[in-house]
Amino acid sequence: MEIYLPIAEMSVHWIVILGMGVGVGFLSGLFGVGGGFLLTPLLVFYGIPSGIAVATTLSHITASSISGAVAHWKRRSIDFKMAGVMMAGGLGGTAVGVWLFAIMRRAGQMDLVVSLTYVPMLGIIGGIMLNESLKTLRAWRSGHAPARIHPVNHVWIHGLPLKARFRQSRLYISVIPPLAIGFVVGAMSAVMGVGGGFIIVPAMIYLLRMPTNVVVGTSLVQIIGVAIVTTLLQATNNYAVDIVLAAILVTGGVVGAQFGVRAGARLRGEQIRLLLALLVLAVALKLLWDLLVTPADFYSIGGV
Amino acid sequence: MRRALFLVLLLAAQPAFADQLVSGVSQELIQITSNYTGSDIVVFGAVEGEPGRDMSLPKDVVVVVRGPETDITVRRRDRVAGIWINHDAAKLSGMPAYYFLASTRPLKEIAPPEALTHYNIGLQSLQPDSVHSHHDYEPFRQAALRHLTKDRLYTEVPGGVEFLSATLFRAHVPVPAGVARGQYKVEVYLFRDGDVESAQSTPLFIDQTGLERRLYNFAHNQPFGYGLAAVAMAVIMGWISSLLFRRST
Repeated sequence: MEIYLPIAEMSVHWIVILGMGVGVGFLSGLFGVGGGFLLTPLLVFYGIPSGIAVATTLSHITASSISGAVAHWKRRSIDFKMAGVMMAGGLGGTAVGVWLFAIMRRAGQMDLVVSLTYVPMLGIIGGIMLNESLKTLRAWRSGHAPARIHPVNHVWIHGLPLKARFRQSRLYISVIPPLAIGFVVGAMSAVMGVGGGFIIVPAMIYLLRMPTNVVVGTSLVQIIGVAIVTTLLQATNNYAVDIVLAAILVTGGVVGAQFGVRAGARLRGEQIRLLLALLVLAVALKLLWDLLVTPADFYSIGGV
Repeated sequence: MRRALFLVLLLAAQPAFADQLVSGVSQELIQITSNYTGSDIVVFGAVEGEPGRDMSLPKDVVVVVRGPETDITVRRRDRVAGIWINHDAAKLSGMPAYYFLASTRPLKEIAPPEALTHYNIGLQSLQPDSVHSHHDYEPFRQAALRHLTKDRLYTEVPGGVEFLSATLFRAHVPVPAGVARGQYKVEVYLFRDGDVESAQSTPLFIDQTGLERRLYNFAHNQPFGYGLAAVAMAVIMGWISSLLFRRST
């Protein structure tokens, strides 16, 4: 049951790869995240060279995000204007990210940069989300009206110029924060092979204060745009996209994503947020553990 | 290159009374297809003795298969401010991407270490052509040998060469699925009294074929078109799946 990957130049068990695609696709449909932050480490752990894992994961992200976005589009829960603004920022970020990628890889510090940025970021985001969703769930269970989530009042955000009306999100805010969020996430997707949904979703909820029901669909649209551009850049600059690997991942991913979207429709927003918070914290702890624990082998090998 | 030259010199310098080594490979071209999961090749040969020489005299055969040369970067983790980071690195250039050795007996019983180093035989004699490192590269080289042995790209099989008769020998060489493409070299050495008496080298090619080859060429010759194809595949699959699932529910 093995299949040979022409670009990675190795054989893999296609059922294992398909299973990874289904599992990660389910999560991406459920949470509105691309799932790259799980799939890339999984592929590397399986033995796929990290450059190819980073670049090929983006195809999987594209497909499962489209599959999920179509479902959200039917429910009219996408703010295309907001997605467009963030995508514009994302394209700039991708260009910077490809440049940073080259510098860090030359220095051999890819792993360190990924871990050092992921751990505090995922830890903080996961912690905030966990706290908020637990508070809401507890209030709901004890019969009180759920406490409105009051993020820090970002006065400075409302003082920014270039205000625009986002009808679907019922917001009238400056375009600078969504542009900035898009930029950061675009840079991350080039460097780490992630769509960045796990950053965008909380940023939309807590920074932009978008309604939860449009957040997931909108983040999917933004992720699709960035993932497509990054795939093209990785294919032309690094020849790192393995289309056979991508096809297997995508096949599993689109099926998983459909089930994820359906499961998500049955859960309440707070429950989804609680689950996502736990997942994000688990990844952060795993990365922290790898940084602190004494490695079994001090030597690692790259570029055989 | 160094080794090829060396082999030519070695063959030219053979003493007139030496036994002759004749060897062959069961397959000179291995084509990797989509269902390639590794295969075996057989290296076989015969020791043709000088007339009047006793063929039962102790002799040893060593079969070495070397993959194309490559650069291996080895990094070492060190603890800095409580966390483990990649600190030092060594780039070993000109190491074989694949190395297989089979011999009639353990190498150390066949020849003294100086002879093995001299003829560049055995994992421990594998040396890079050049090294980029700020430190002594030996621990990095040992780490590379350890890792590649674990990945079954570097292998030593004492007893892997069997004599079928007084003159005929045979060795099985596994070619795992993860091997690099390119030109390989099959070297056969005849040892007697701790020294090489005769040697022979045969090329072996490992290449992709069929659809895999075309995809690889597509990716490298028209990377933008290839990228577009990958994107189109993902977009269409995502779209189709959402249509299919809408119908079924």
